[in-house]
Amino acid sequence: MDPAAEGTTYPAVPFTVEPSRVAAFRALFGISEGVPPTFVTVAEFAAFPQVLADRHLGLDFSRVVHGSQGYVFRRPLREGEELLVRARIESIRIKGGTGFVTIAMDLEDADGVIVCTARSQMIERATGG
Amino acid sequence: MRTRATVSVGDELPEMARVVTREDVKAYADAGGDQNPLHQDDAFARSLGFPGIIAHGMFTMAHMAAAVVAWAGEPAAVVALSAQFRAPVFMEETIVAGGRVRSIEERPAIAVLETWVRVERDGRTEWPVKKGEARVRLA
Repeated sequence: MDPAAEGTTYPAVPFTVEPSRVAAFRALFGISEGVPPTFVTVAEFAAFPQVLADRHLGLDFSRVVHGSQGYVFRRPLREGEELLVRARIESIRIKGGTGFVTIAMDLEDADGVIVCTARSQMIERATGG
Repeated sequence: MRTRATVSVGDELPEMARVVTREDVKAYADAGGDQNPLHQDDAFARSLGFPGIIAHGMFTMAHMAAAVVAWAGEPAAVVALSAQFRAPVFMEETIVAGGRVRSIEERPAIAVLETWVRVERDGRTEWPVKKGEARVRLA
């Protein structure tokens, strides 16, 4: 992973809050109504392929573990709504061969309001042993 | 939604336990979109040094979120949620989500919760989620 990739932004990716996928999430975790907070992960996965394909960043997903995750909501997601997901590389730190990258994603609604910001810290383990 | 008058610092969330099964984890991969073989293929997981597949960190966090939502009354009351993943979760283990009210903000009324997910393994407590936090809007 290249620390110089810190600050990279990626083109917005459209994402629809599909009611059937929301229902599957609710059923799996016993939530009776609304959009479960961590459903945002589905939107993150819509934008994640661009990050993985970024050769300048050079993130090796086969060596990645998920370090931490956070969500901040301005309002809850609404079933059926269409959002844009904008990803950026917020920070990169390398310590002794282990890379720490924080990927932030803003979910923007049709009015241009950021309804949720998601932050994922991924840890890329050192090669070899 | 929970009302301000009913919440005090130190209140504990009812613990929520669930056994993590292979079927759950596969269903989660399909619902959540993370098809990493670490969560489906035992041979692949062993190549990374695990005894077998592990649950997605986000599976564990979603379970923690369910405990918070149950306490909050509805998903819409949860205005922030975070977790640090500290230990893997293996199949057929029982994960237990819990939390407590650390502080309360006024105007707007927000309960700040510390949250966690623990698992008992080989006579020890491990923490798949440590230092979780949730911010819950109160009426």
